[in-house]
Amino acid sequence: MASRSPAGEPRRVLRAPDVIGAARGELDRVGRGALLAAAIVATLPKPRKYMHASLAQAYHMGIRSLPLVLFMAAVGGALASQQTGAQFTGGLPVWVTGSVVAAGVLTELGPVLTALVLIGRVGASIAAELGTMKVTEQIDALYSIGRDPITFLVVPRVVGGMMVVPPLVIVANAMGMLAGLIVGMIAIDGLTATEFIFGARFYFRPWVLFFSVIKGAIFGITITFLACFMGLEGRGGAEGVGRTTTSAVVATTVAIMVLDVLLVPLLKVA
Amino acid sequence: MIEFRGVWKSFGAEPVLSGVDLTVREGETLALLGPSGTGKSVLLKHAIRLLTPDRGDILVDGVSIPSATGGQIKAVRRRVGYVFQNAALFDSLTVFGNLALALDDEDGHRPLSSLRPEAAELLRRVNLDHAVLNLYPGELSGGMRKRVGIARAIASRPRYVLYDEPTTGLDPVNADIIDALIVELARDLGVTSIVVTHDLESAFQVGDRVALLTEGTIRACAAPEEILASEDPVVQRFMHRRFGTAESTPPA
Repeated sequence: MASRSPAGEPRRVLRAPDVIGAARGELDRVGRGALLAAAIVATLPKPRKYMHASLAQAYHMGIRSLPLVLFMAAVGGALASQQTGAQFTGGLPVWVTGSVVAAGVLTELGPVLTALVLIGRVGASIAAELGTMKVTEQIDALYSIGRDPITFLVVPRVVGGMMVVPPLVIVANAMGMLAGLIVGMIAIDGLTATEFIFGARFYFRPWVLFFSVIKGAIFGITITFLACFMGLEGRGGAEGVGRTTTSAVVATTVAIMVLDVLLVPLLKVA
Repeated sequence: MIEFRGVWKSFGAEPVLSGVDLTVREGETLALLGPSGTGKSVLLKHAIRLLTPDRGDILVDGVSIPSATGGQIKAVRRRVGYVFQNAALFDSLTVFGNLALALDDEDGHRPLSSLRPEAAELLRRVNLDHAVLNLYPGELSGGMRKRVGIARAIASRPRYVLYDEPTTGLDPVNADIIDALIVELARDLGVTSIVVTHDLESAFQVGDRVALLTEGTIRACAAPEEILASEDPVVQRFMHRRFGTAESTPPA
């Protein structure tokens, strides 16, 4: 006799064929993702086909994201400075605040907060746009007129993301440091601009900034690639586009966090 | 010539096409009829590899579509215009942008200014004013969108035009305009056409031959008058349900 849920509906029993089917579906999806990545790489040696569109994409992504990136970076820098002051005052010299804010902002807060802003502002928008194009047959229409949607839609977005995130990270780093300095001077007794800068320079190595920028580029590629891929996988009308967009945001956020952990050893290279 | 040879297609466990054999002759307009959900659009999409068959073959001018190389399929797509059910216009581009994409080559070699007269000429051919060039698809009526979709499909001067439910969602007046346009283009451009529809009136108005797709196979394929005279009970049931009574005759 079939078991029933409290609502009285038959409870779904998970069967082996269902599990195998679902696993196979996921493997197919990974395969399609790999094929998309290969197609993007194959297009890269032909910049004439995508560079103009990539620059336009980079410009729009940058303009759309800049205010929120600046705001998030300022909040991140301010919090890092305040918390350092609250935790360390009395036990360590106040110039350490500069070191902690520099370490926190350059290695983590700058790139990660920028990436999170881009997921919300750019990734969701790309997934929704391509998802809509998929369910309204606009992607098929591109194929039908002899255009390759990967060259026309995906590569410009991925290359645009790769180009725009590093400068955004640099701007976010600068804003985070500035906010850390200002809030530190207000909130921490005895901290002067000279001491803060001394602390920041004490920690700073060029590789840290380079690491921050590399992270930004990797995050930019990841966000735009996953958003494009999930958008192109979209199906099922308006509701499907909503689901696609949500899935893209969740998957990209998880991917960025996992990548952030995996990239830590890179910091120790130099 | 477009040939479908024993085309099978399933989505999940559900078979949609079960061995479709159909040949579209040079210069004719074939109306592909069938109840909703029987796989007419699915079959049409196989002709330019928007879908690939589980089994069987599709030949366009002798090129096997499922096994064609990337270059071959691109060349076939330039020879086959495809009109989508809801026009599928690129809504982030103006009408001119939509037509320019179809007129230009993939590398965008031609300056946009040189494409404008050709785009205006395409619109004239589908009885639209050139002022429409500057509008976005969202600013067009349903009938206008369909006509722009047709203009985009014929931009590459194709030998074949495939229409997927061209009159669906239109009022009778606009549906008649689109039907007349299909006949006019077939005559003036000399293209071979497949018109997928579940609208019997439309099928008999545009088709030199009519094919009936039911239960995944072609049940009948003949001239309209032969289809009407068919004694096949499945064909009769489809015709009678559509026209109401056995004695009714479809419009010429």
